[in-house]
Amino acid sequence: MDAGVLADFARGCAVLGSGGGGSPAAVTRPLAEQAIEECGPVPVVAAGELPEDAFVMPVGLIGSPAVAEERIGSRAEPARMRERVEALHGRPVAAVLCSEIGGLNGCTAVAWAARLGLPLLDADAMGRAFPRMDQNVLELAGLRPGPTVLADEYGRTVVLDHVDGPWLEELARAAVATFGGHAATSEYPLTAGQAARHAVAGSVTRAVAVGRGEGPPALLTGKVASVRRDVGDATRVLLEGTGTDAGRLVRIEARSEFVAALEDGRTLALVPDVIALVDVHSGWAVPVEEVRYGLRVRLHALPSAPVWYSEAGLRLAGPTAFGLHGLTREGAS
Amino acid sequence: MIIGVDVGPTNTDAVLLDGDGRALSAVKVPSLAGDAVGSLVAAVAALPREPRARVTQLAVGLRVAARAVAERTGLAQVGVLRIGGEAADAVRPLFGWPAELRDAVCAGTANVAGGGGLGPYDGAPLDRDAVARFGAGLAGRAEAFAVSAVFAPADGTQEREAAEILRAEAGADVPVVLSGEIGALGLLRRENATVLDAALCLLVARVADELTAALPRLGLAPGAAVLVTRHDGTLMSLDHLRRQPGLSLGSGPACTIRGAGLLSGVRDAVVADIGERRARVGTLTAGYPQEAGPGGRIGGVPVSLRVPELLTVDAAAHRDLAEAVDRMQTAAGGLPVVLVGGGAEAVPDRALPGCEVVRPEHGGVAGAFGAAASPVGGHHERIVRVGPGRRLDAVRDEVRDLARAWAVRAGADPRRVRTLLEPDLTVPYLPGALLLRARAFGPPLPL
Repeated sequence: MDAGVLADFARGCAVLGSGGGGSPAAVTRPLAEQAIEECGPVPVVAAGELPEDAFVMPVGLIGSPAVAEERIGSRAEPARMRERVEALHGRPVAAVLCSEIGGLNGCTAVAWAARLGLPLLDADAMGRAFPRMDQNVLELAGLRPGPTVLADEYGRTVVLDHVDGPWLEELARAAVATFGGHAATSEYPLTAGQAARHAVAGSVTRAVAVGRGEGPPALLTGKVASVRRDVGDATRVLLEGTGTDAGRLVRIEARSEFVAALEDGRTLALVPDVIALVDVHSGWAVPVEEVRYGLRVRLHALPSAPVWYSEAGLRLAGPTAFGLHGLTREGAS
Repeated sequence: MIIGVDVGPTNTDAVLLDGDGRALSAVKVPSLAGDAVGSLVAAVAALPREPRARVTQLAVGLRVAARAVAERTGLAQVGVLRIGGEAADAVRPLFGWPAELRDAVCAGTANVAGGGGLGPYDGAPLDRDAVARFGAGLAGRAEAFAVSAVFAPADGTQEREAAEILRAEAGADVPVVLSGEIGALGLLRRENATVLDAALCLLVARVADELTAALPRLGLAPGAAVLVTRHDGTLMSLDHLRRQPGLSLGSGPACTIRGAGLLSGVRDAVVADIGERRARVGTLTAGYPQEAGPGGRIGGVPVSLRVPELLTVDAAAHRDLAEAVDRMQTAAGGLPVVLVGGGAEAVPDRALPGCEVVRPEHGGVAGAFGAAASPVGGHHERIVRVGPGRRLDAVRDEVRDLARAWAVRAGADPRRVRTLLEPDLTVPYLPGALLLRARAFGPPLPL
């Protein structure tokens, strides 16, 4: 991963964010750019290329992107996090795993791997972005979140032990609020073997490919015809087809992310599918909070990792987890 | 009576308004390359002489700042001070700037310990000694300083403290620009905007001097107020321009959008300014230009400034223009489209299907009209954490008062300033945080 590939990677991460996960453009992409400039390109390796018992440190940022854009972070953070994680486990970290490829966190993992001089696994724990920390495939695989390490830029650290997924989410959010709305985290520590078996494989190369515009064609090219933001976090977007799609009307439901795309009572795409609106002029995916009338967009839907479509996966992060009742996957991608 | 002037790259426009805001006369003269004040003098001289003696206010859009950044000329060498220490050292100041622009403005950079946050214990004390060393090290070399502290939009105390130290070390008359007075949350973009602001200090001071020196030649009423345009469609005094030159970036389009609305009597519209080669499309909301969201760039540098949201297309590409006009609508087909600018006649109504097209009289000089008919402005915003014991109404009042104070600092008559509290904004993924914003408007203080 060098600076050139990073540009495509960042654009792809924004698409995989499904409208959420924060924008990489403001802070984490320059973070990764400078880390690569100072420390060199990051080797990206498949988990299976490492020894089975090699120790892997997942990394990510949680909390408010607005705060992350202000407290842009310390160059010393990655090393401090590694030191703490190694002390907890009594063995050296061999590679970095991205907790969440979608949104701003993909670039965070690149920056940290570069600063640590470690390879980045070609994988991640979500395959996209989700709002909760426990909405990840390692949770589905039965891995334990603890010990989870949360730290701020000054090295103030909280370790969560003996927590399950829901407790991780509860305690981490409380800690993040106290940290002023932002923290770096390492949760679901694992071995390379576990990563090879359970993490979403190929996420980094997928993000690069998506950023280069590879993948299935758009479901619709059109413009945003209306946006309705309700109390709470529900947003409803109407897309009107243009050009060869003229006459088509697609409704998009959003929470923190886009979660459903519907046309004439038919489900075009449904969470856990990745649903992205890509600005035809800039080529960047548009975050939910920046969708506005008149934007010219391409609607893309990409399948998530197969495990998300299992019964347990749908329970954790399927339509009902986002309050979407009565929607079926009939006709979904 | 009021004269408004818009110094564009090709032409300089001037209008003369009577006491009721009606245009009595409008002229267009060719601009003199690289001489904004000379162009202004020529345009004003083209207005009828007799009524000029009754003019009590001259409002000017100079557009020198934008050109200086684009052409990298006349920029000051800036000492770039970040206050954030290890909370904010993972991306260095000026990272990602085009090398030529960075070399043109950078006298030196430092990142010292300090900065705030949203919680009571967030942040760190300011490393005053490090600030003093930085100031002393650049004394005589830095022509201006740009100071950016983490979370300055929530609390600007450390920036003011640092400014005092820098002035003590590097000279009391060295301009020091503070990020908390420049932009919103987002350290890197706010810092970039602050540096550009500082870099423009010298050039803008020179132009302000030239303008002041040229005044007697214009034949205006004695003591006429001189104001310049700013990026939100309001005005400020020359003294305020010297303090915050970056406020003039984007002021040309802002005044054109505002002028288009005033000329056509609408407060909400899509405005297309059709030039010879390019057309610029923006939105007028409640009489003022709609601001651009995040992602704006000036001179290739990402910045957070309240510049108007604009789409620029080829003036002859009518399909692109129609699409741009639709994109700038706030809802489907809701707003009339005001066409202004020298090239407006070349765009037929049928190029904008489904739109109510308005072509106001004097649309060719909308920018000058907007300058002449705008009030002095000020704004303030602050991010706050809602919590027990925190009285939001008191904070709102304070934000409103500060907006008023800024308008007065910019040259408004304190007796006649009115304020407008904008709706609170929530901050995504940050429960309990609110962005409070207020704007203030008033006529200039009569001399």
